[in-house]
Amino acid sequence: MTEVQANRVDPDWAWQPFEPTAQRPWDRRLAAHLYRRAGFGADLATLDEALLRTPAEVVDELLQANREPIPFQVTADSLAQTILASGDPKRLSSAWVYRLLFTPSQLLEKTTLFWHGHFATSADKVTDATLMWQQNQLLRSYALGRFDEMVEAIAQDPAMLIYLDSTANRKAHPNENFARELMELFCLGEGNFREGDVRELARCFTGWEIKNNRFRKNRYQQDTGPKSLFSRTGPFDGEEAIAIVTEQPSLERFLARKWYRFFVSDEPQPSAELLQPLADCFRASGLQVAAPLTMLLKSNLFFSEHAIGRKIKSPVEFVVGTLRCLNATTNTNRVADGLRTIGQGLFYPPNVKGWDGGRTWINSSTLIGRANLMADLLGDSVTRFDGKPVSEYFRSLGVRTTSEAIEHLEQCLLVTPLSEQTKSELRSSVELQSTQDEQGMRSLLLTVTSLPQCQIG
Amino acid sequence: MFFSDSTSRRRFLRSSIGGATAVGIGAAIPDCFLQASERALHASERILVVVQMTGGNDGLNTVIPYANDDYRSARPKLAIPDADVLKCSDELGFHPSMSSMRQLFEDGKMTVVCGVGYDQPNRSHFESMDIWHTCRRKNELRDDGWLGRFLATQDRPVGGDVLALHLGQEKQPFALASNRVRVPTIRELAEFQLRGQKGKALSRFLTKSVEQAPAQSDDLLKFLQSSTASALEASQRVTEASQDYRSELRYPETSLGKKLRVIAQLIDAGLSTRVYYVQLDGFDTHANQPNTHAILLREWSDAVSTFIRDLEGHHHGDRVCVMTFSEFGRRVAENASQGTDHGAAGPMFLCGGGLVPGIIGGYASLTDLQDGDLKHQTDFRQVYAAVLRSWLGVDPAAILGGQYAPLPLFASMADPTLG
Repeated sequence: MTEVQANRVDPDWAWQPFEPTAQRPWDRRLAAHLYRRAGFGADLATLDEALLRTPAEVVDELLQANREPIPFQVTADSLAQTILASGDPKRLSSAWVYRLLFTPSQLLEKTTLFWHGHFATSADKVTDATLMWQQNQLLRSYALGRFDEMVEAIAQDPAMLIYLDSTANRKAHPNENFARELMELFCLGEGNFREGDVRELARCFTGWEIKNNRFRKNRYQQDTGPKSLFSRTGPFDGEEAIAIVTEQPSLERFLARKWYRFFVSDEPQPSAELLQPLADCFRASGLQVAAPLTMLLKSNLFFSEHAIGRKIKSPVEFVVGTLRCLNATTNTNRVADGLRTIGQGLFYPPNVKGWDGGRTWINSSTLIGRANLMADLLGDSVTRFDGKPVSEYFRSLGVRTTSEAIEHLEQCLLVTPLSEQTKSELRSSVELQSTQDEQGMRSLLLTVTSLPQCQIG
Repeated sequence: MFFSDSTSRRRFLRSSIGGATAVGIGAAIPDCFLQASERALHASERILVVVQMTGGNDGLNTVIPYANDDYRSARPKLAIPDADVLKCSDELGFHPSMSSMRQLFEDGKMTVVCGVGYDQPNRSHFESMDIWHTCRRKNELRDDGWLGRFLATQDRPVGGDVLALHLGQEKQPFALASNRVRVPTIRELAEFQLRGQKGKALSRFLTKSVEQAPAQSDDLLKFLQSSTASALEASQRVTEASQDYRSELRYPETSLGKKLRVIAQLIDAGLSTRVYYVQLDGFDTHANQPNTHAILLREWSDAVSTFIRDLEGHHHGDRVCVMTFSEFGRRVAENASQGTDHGAAGPMFLCGGGLVPGIIGGYASLTDLQDGDLKHQTDFRQVYAAVLRSWLGVDPAAILGGQYAPLPLFASMADPTLG
């Protein structure tokens, strides 16, 4: 697909709700695509169940699950609390891995991960596991809610302010870092504000500080003089300033572009014209995140070849997706450490801009790392598939031959089918006797997940 | 293996040229072969190592205008006390953490270019870094980096070695992006190999499957296939190349020290890679700058100077140049958190043999400021132009997207493309 083609997508057609047709039936392929993008993937049984409903109904279900069921929440939170006692943010990552692997609220968790990359904050600098955990809960609670409220919350979030050196913003010399990133990376995008706006916005936040790991306002340090922000003048405080920033029309365009990249495709860049209806929907909804995401996930564009297979799986999508598609359980510590090795350590984004994604996920180290991580997980005795060894798991699903096993993996893990040649080489190279052979089956699984095709999501 | 041929060729030539009689066969080698090989060894194998100080290094506290009163008045808390400055001239001196770098400077192995930047400076880390990496502004088409464009002009080196390597766990720098050449990133040598009993078989399978894959119209898949092929190939060559390295010198036990030691290993093993890229992060010092900055400058200074000494010890000193830059300098005035905010121009550093040592480029005025920041005196592309023309031996104009007068950084170095 070339740049030109993507720019020629008709915006009216693109955002109309998708209705399955004979040429484009609602089948396992489309259902798998929806679960991969709106979540982390689903096993074939879940896909088949989804086919009994319409695509729009499945999207609505995913959205309605925007609050975790209480029993799951209690379990996931208490796991995190136990880990917090150790104070180590690295271990905290494995509590999040648990949520990613087992949450019934997939879209909520996927968007929480999106916001972690958006409001990126690294435990490398914050170092306090409790503060990182609080921020994670904050992102989850606003993930599909009102964006302006989320920005206000994040502007007073201790982990964020520690990360951006804004724990004490004094009147005499305002710290510009948070003000700059708020506009550049969180709300408007580079080029949509001026240097003067950075300085004035920094003044609005004077007096905001973190004391004993809590946010508070120090009115003695507050600059109460008039400030000029986006052609408006007044003695704005931080809250008023955030309202002015989030009023700017570049906000909805900036976020629409990011959602497009996250949920639709890495490349090519969509035209401004194509994005405008999504941006308008976000603004018209009063900055409710759920509104544009509903429109996006139900759209013709989302279920078209402009989206299917047009992304490179992030490390989380690759590992968690593979495990979820096969109903697998494993050592979450190992997953958490492995994710960091292959470029997406949870709670450890590379910088305040978060992960760039797309082709930057891939290089020699991360490709080899992906294969090594899968080899480690498959070699770990605790790894189970629906509670069983993988050979038994396949048998319980009625998978009898090597060819059937390859077909099963192809349907749940790959976007595009493998060539006959690759399949026949797979059969011979892993030297499978039958699906009874546990080592052979694991080796097949490792080989399939190491293929370039399996990195496409 | 081509590679081991190339290695043994280098070793063979080194010993034959150095001590023909000792090995007893030197006389049997035809002159033309020796000359051609010598040229290959000495002219085409010059190496550039780029060190990126990520986050915006405070140039003012790195190369310090210690005699300037405006410096002290702009920085009541952060100014380095006069007595601590490692003085290099009547006006300028280094941060006290840079003693090993100062030694390099005194030995004539270091060039400092002051006041480097570009017009209409951008204070976003990301946009400014992209400008340094691509030499293009945001409104222009940007799909490759300046080093990527250089790599595209090069033939694939002898033995099929990779043309460039990025070491580190960060994402690969945009500077290395190319439509033609895939540059591997290595996080750690130990992790750069398929593990386990099945590793070799898997590697064979993947190599074969990628080689036999039908031509793809799918760009992403094509990209993943070529990345997989280059990963497996680089993994094998680099693993072979890095064995058996011994150094008299102790590298600092820092992340940068370890990375540079690996690079020294690879260079000494005869890998014909032309460009190595490493990053040192943490220069975004908005708060509590003094301690952080001192640690970072020490890490950089000690690692780079050890690397240069080590290369000299292994007779590669004349063919390796280390270039250090940062995306911008910082504000002249300090902020209230004992830190500095994003600024503009800053110094660049080149270390190694073949340089015109010293300090070049004018130091920007501390009072005639632009938005509170130093005005640049030298465009960074003038440094790149010198490196491309005089060090790497290519015409810089196309790579940089314009004519930039190369700075006189390299001593009497004829254009090697003409040699």
